[in-house]
Amino acid sequence: MTPVELIIDPFQTSFMQRALISCLAVGIAAPAIGVWAVSRRLVYLTDAMSHAILAGVAAAALVGVSLVVGGIAAGLFMALIVALLVIRVKVPEDSAIGVVGQGLFAVGVIGVGLLGDPRALSHVLFGNPLTVTAGEVAVQVVMAVVIVITGWFLGPVLGISTFDSTHARTVGVRVGLLDTGLIVVLSMVVVVGLTSVGVLMAITLITAPAVAARLVVPRLSHSMPLACALGSVAAVGGLLVSYHFSLPTGPTIAVLAVSEVALAALATRPWVHRGESSAARPAGSAMSAV
Amino acid sequence: MEVTGLGVSYGGHVAVHDVSFEMASGEAVALVGRNGAGKSSLLKALAGLEHSAGNVIVHGIHCHHGHGVAPIAYVPQRSSARWELSLTVAEVVVAGCRARGSRWRRPSAEDRDRAREALQRFGIENLRDRPVGALSGGQAQRVLLARAFAQEPRILLLDEPFAGLDSVSATTLSDSITDLSMRGMSVLCAMHELAIAREVFPRTIALDQVIIANGPTPLVLNAEGVEQIFVGSVMSKGRSTP
Repeated sequence: MTPVELIIDPFQTSFMQRALISCLAVGIAAPAIGVWAVSRRLVYLTDAMSHAILAGVAAAALVGVSLVVGGIAAGLFMALIVALLVIRVKVPEDSAIGVVGQGLFAVGVIGVGLLGDPRALSHVLFGNPLTVTAGEVAVQVVMAVVIVITGWFLGPVLGISTFDSTHARTVGVRVGLLDTGLIVVLSMVVVVGLTSVGVLMAITLITAPAVAARLVVPRLSHSMPLACALGSVAAVGGLLVSYHFSLPTGPTIAVLAVSEVALAALATRPWVHRGESSAARPAGSAMSAV
Repeated sequence: MEVTGLGVSYGGHVAVHDVSFEMASGEAVALVGRNGAGKSSLLKALAGLEHSAGNVIVHGIHCHHGHGVAPIAYVPQRSSARWELSLTVAEVVVAGCRARGSRWRRPSAEDRDRAREALQRFGIENLRDRPVGALSGGQAQRVLLARAFAQEPRILLLDEPFAGLDSVSATTLSDSITDLSMRGMSVLCAMHELAIAREVFPRTIALDQVIIANGPTPLVLNAEGVEQIFVGSVMSKGRSTP
């Protein structure tokens, strides 16, 4: 079998075609918004949120409403509880995220267990794109398009508020609303990846291609298209490798995405370029000037 | 600008109490005081970033609590920005244009023209495509000034812009402030560099939660005044501590 046949032949069947579109949807959408999760240092929050979303998905499945609505509601609920713990109860932020994320994850595992299907938990956690239906693929594509357009449209305002949130507030940007919107979109990404790579592996596609792109392309505005390209390569490559070697698809995609970070680091060798811009130096001592 | 009875509190801690002063168009005023005297809190309150008591009126328009802040541009301390993010100089400066129109839209051609004009004004047009992380301290400060200039403000609030600058960069920044002042922009600058304050700013306000001096810089920052501002207030606070 030639290399071209190794790539083309698996997609002769309709279930593999649906799997391809499903994986591409999350492979493009996750890094498109992931560059902002990485830049705004929201990776830990996103990771915990991907766990917490399991509770919303399980609840939605149990009561028979849209999994998308359940997932986004769980993401927002988690962000709200974390904010309350941090602001009102004065719990350190990382502790609040850890407690709430793991708590909701545990609730989600119990909820999925109540569904009665022993394979359901594994599918939700790690995904299985070979089982996606045409309807699920259509929803994933629509959501992916919405996510990419949102990331592109909000790029400039996300950039300036990430660079200097204080100044952004002075020119009227509602930074809190922007953060809430970002959490909603990140929740949507996890839901998009639910059936293809699973809630636990979606976080890898949100972060790894974005980190690899930032290593390769210095400019923040240029890293989004490259991150999407790297996410697509990981998604399609992971699907093909899992097909040929009978490996679980979600984890295989995740391993390829993480490999891209390693390759980008080896290619750019950022540890060779040391030094810090004087622009970032902290302000000087007060009394020394008197 | 007319400020009356301005007060800022954090929980039970009073940062600024009952501050009142006026600034004329084109006036450059230094704001001095020890660390923790409330300088940054005062500037943030004027910029609408902190909830505060009192009134701020600019050209007859109430500009307080975040309402109608467009005539006021605030330049935070340089260290508050994340310079490691690889935005370009042009991308940062065009952010100032968001003070007018929709905050959510992508930059228009008009915004980019205004940003280019601001870059030219501060002599950094040649840096427009450079990542901000590759700038020197002086260049970075001029980028922040250009961003504020792009807001087309009537009043410019600067929070310790001279901190960490070498003498050449400080001189360039001083010239820029003088130029803006001569063009009718009022400048209020929190700073610790008293020599620069004496050279560039005709008037100085000394703050220690309340205004402890407000007048011509040579009078406020004479030897006795400096001792009162930086040593006397600390000693009096030390004596009041049980």
